[in-house]
Amino acid sequence: MNTNNNLYTVIYTTLIVVVVAALLAFVSQSLKGKQEANEKADTISQMMTAAQFGTKAEFQKMGNAAVLRKYSEEIGQAFTVNTKGEKVSDLALEKVYSPSELKRQNYNIKGTGNGEAELPVFIFKNGITVVPVYGAGLWGPVWGYIAFAQDQKTIVSAYFDHESETAGLGAKIKDDPAFQAEFNGELADFASANVFEIVKGGSPKNADGSEVIDNKIDAITGATMTSNGLDTAIDTWLGAYAKYFQGAAPATRNTCRCSACPCGETCTCDCHCPEKTEPGCNCPGCECKDCDGNVNHTEE
Amino acid sequence: MNAKLKETILNPIFKGNPITVLVLGICSSLAVTVTLKGALVMALSVIVVTGISSLILSLLRNTIPGRVRIIVQLVVVAMMVILVDQILKSFEATYAIDKQLSVYIGLIITNCIVMGRIEAFALGNAPWPSFLDGVANGAGYGMILLIVAFFRELLGSGTLFGFDILNRFGYVPNNLVILPPFALILLGCIVWVQRSIQKDLQEK
Repeated sequence: MNTNNNLYTVIYTTLIVVVVAALLAFVSQSLKGKQEANEKADTISQMMTAAQFGTKAEFQKMGNAAVLRKYSEEIGQAFTVNTKGEKVSDLALEKVYSPSELKRQNYNIKGTGNGEAELPVFIFKNGITVVPVYGAGLWGPVWGYIAFAQDQKTIVSAYFDHESETAGLGAKIKDDPAFQAEFNGELADFASANVFEIVKGGSPKNADGSEVIDNKIDAITGATMTSNGLDTAIDTWLGAYAKYFQGAAPATRNTCRCSACPCGETCTCDCHCPEKTEPGCNCPGCECKDCDGNVNHTEE
Repeated sequence: MNAKLKETILNPIFKGNPITVLVLGICSSLAVTVTLKGALVMALSVIVVTGISSLILSLLRNTIPGRVRIIVQLVVVAMMVILVDQILKSFEATYAIDKQLSVYIGLIITNCIVMGRIEAFALGNAPWPSFLDGVANGAGYGMILLIVAFFRELLGSGTLFGFDILNRFGYVPNNLVILPPFALILLGCIVWVQRSIQKDLQEK
């Protein structure tokens, strides 16, 4: 048989490609369920690691079923919010945000997606709130989960993962416990556009050599691009969550002056920030009385 | 088993080892040898891919049009690699390792050992010897991977297969060993040892 005939070559290659494509499509479809279950357990164990229910290695040993069971025991509320801080909808227990879903929302936050951002918030029964971050590292996506204490601004801990950062350098965001531990106890600055900073040198030092508690941590030596990528990811995502966290912060009793009151009366109201002058702060509960003692307007 | 078949199996393990003698597959041997577990999964994956693609292509060898034979080989090898990757992703036990190996499983497609053995052996030999040749070459590659990973995990993390060996004696893991350059140094040492045993490999 002449195998160098043009017609034969075309038919042969077509046939082999069709057979291989059909086989791969079949295998991919039949294994999809198992792969998604693995990815989901992996995502949940990353969130639980951030919320300090154990280490990633411990969750890996537990197996998928045990991870899911622990999650259903510990999770309090799960819902989505938009960038204005308003709740959009509740999340079903089995719904977690996989990296591909985070990628979609990342476009939505930046306004280049095809919808409004719906950002997940996971509140565990111990009061810790976990939110995801997602962005571009050096070679591929980086993402992670940041856990906040009940005051909605102190970071309890963080867990990061990546697709293909350089081993020993950028991969440290996942593999180096010391890097992740730097986040513990730091404060996110939701009032600023730079919510959190991963910079050379990290926080300034106090006179006694201890670190100032602020929104800065030290970047990774030799992994500037990954550090910058993660910094941008955190700023973008926590920036999108800023309104939510500011609204969810425990109310502080605050006195504000009602400018419209001719008598210059002051009133006390529940303010979501210590200073009335902080940007984004409002006093919805503030009631001002006019000079006759009638309540005539709220909020200044 | 006749002498020729025996030679097919034994040659790639030592005398004609794909890494230390042919110097193929260096890239992945630097990248995936940080832990023994990763190296073992990578070695098994390469064995499966080289073995079965050699078998398939040897069965097809008389029907493949000569002008597009490389493309046909690529299609078959790529199919095997995707199958291996999909299967690794589906099991709880291997999911984490697949994530750790990340792109390197996919990059088996570009591993010169696979295409090299198909071109040099499978297209000219019967299916059974071709299959054995593929498996043996994968095993030769895997053996070097495991040797390198043994030293890198032991000295770099103080563990073997994740079990603590040296750390309990107060060993401080050496970070250099974790980085790829050390794998290259180690590979160099292995080549050195092999060449001093096997004098005919030495250049005049």
